[in-house]
Amino acid sequence: MHVLMMSLYAAIAAIVLATIDPKAETMRERLIHGLKIFGWFMGIGLVLSWILFPIPW
Amino acid sequence: MQSRDGLTDNVTPQYRERIIPQDLPTPFSAGRRALAVAAAWLIPGAGHLSLGRYGRGLMFFVLIVGAFALGLALQGRLYWPTVSDPPSMFHFDLISVLWTFAQIGGGLCYLVSYAFGWGTEPLPAATNEYGNTFMFLAGLLNYLIIYDAYDIAAGRKR
Repeated sequence: MHVLMMSLYAAIAAIVLATIDPKAETMRERLIHGLKIFGWFMGIGLVLSWILFPIPW
Repeated sequence: MQSRDGLTDNVTPQYRERIIPQDLPTPFSAGRRALAVAAAWLIPGAGHLSLGRYGRGLMFFVLIVGAFALGLALQGRLYWPTVSDPPSMFHFDLISVLWTFAQIGGGLCYLVSYAFGWGTEPLPAATNEYGNTFMFLAGLLNYLIIYDAYDIAAGRKR
C-alpha cells in the first residue's frame, strides 16, 4: 500500500513538474525529464525508508 | 544583425535560437491574464483552457482533481486555521495555517468539499495520512500550474 501510494504521488508530481518546466520544450525532453523526476522521488523515498526504518520513533 | 537582448550576438545561430525563440508568443491582455489566474485557481486546468492550451488544461484538471478526490476517498481531512492552544505569539496554530494554505490551492475542490462537509469530520482511518498528503499535493501543484498559466498569458512561454 505504502509503495503504491508513493508511486502514485511521484507519478502525479513528475507529470505536472515535467509539463510546466520551461527548459523541456519537446515531448521527448518532457518525457525524459518526467522519468528523471519520478526516479528521484522513488529513489530518495526508498533510501529514506531504509535509513529511517531502524529509528524507533 | 543585433539580437533582441544584445547579449547573444557572439553565439552561434543554433544556440541563439535555442535560448531566445525568434517567434515569442504574443502576451495576452491584463484582463485575460487575471482571468486565467483566477480560473486556474478555481478550477485546476481552466487557466490553460482559457488560453487555448486544451491538452494541458485537461491533463491538469484530471491530475489535480483526481489527486484531491483520492485524498478525500482515503479519509483525508480538510484543514482550517485553528487558534493556537496553549496561546502563543502567533494567534493561530502555525501548522494548521500551512496545511490550509496547501489545500486551498485546490480552489473549488477545497471550497466544494467544505460546503458539502466532505473531510470536515476526521474519521479514524488508517489511510487518513495518505489522504492528507494527496490533498496537499493537489493544492501545492495547482499553485505551480497557476504560475505556469500566468507565464503563458504574459507571453513568457508557450
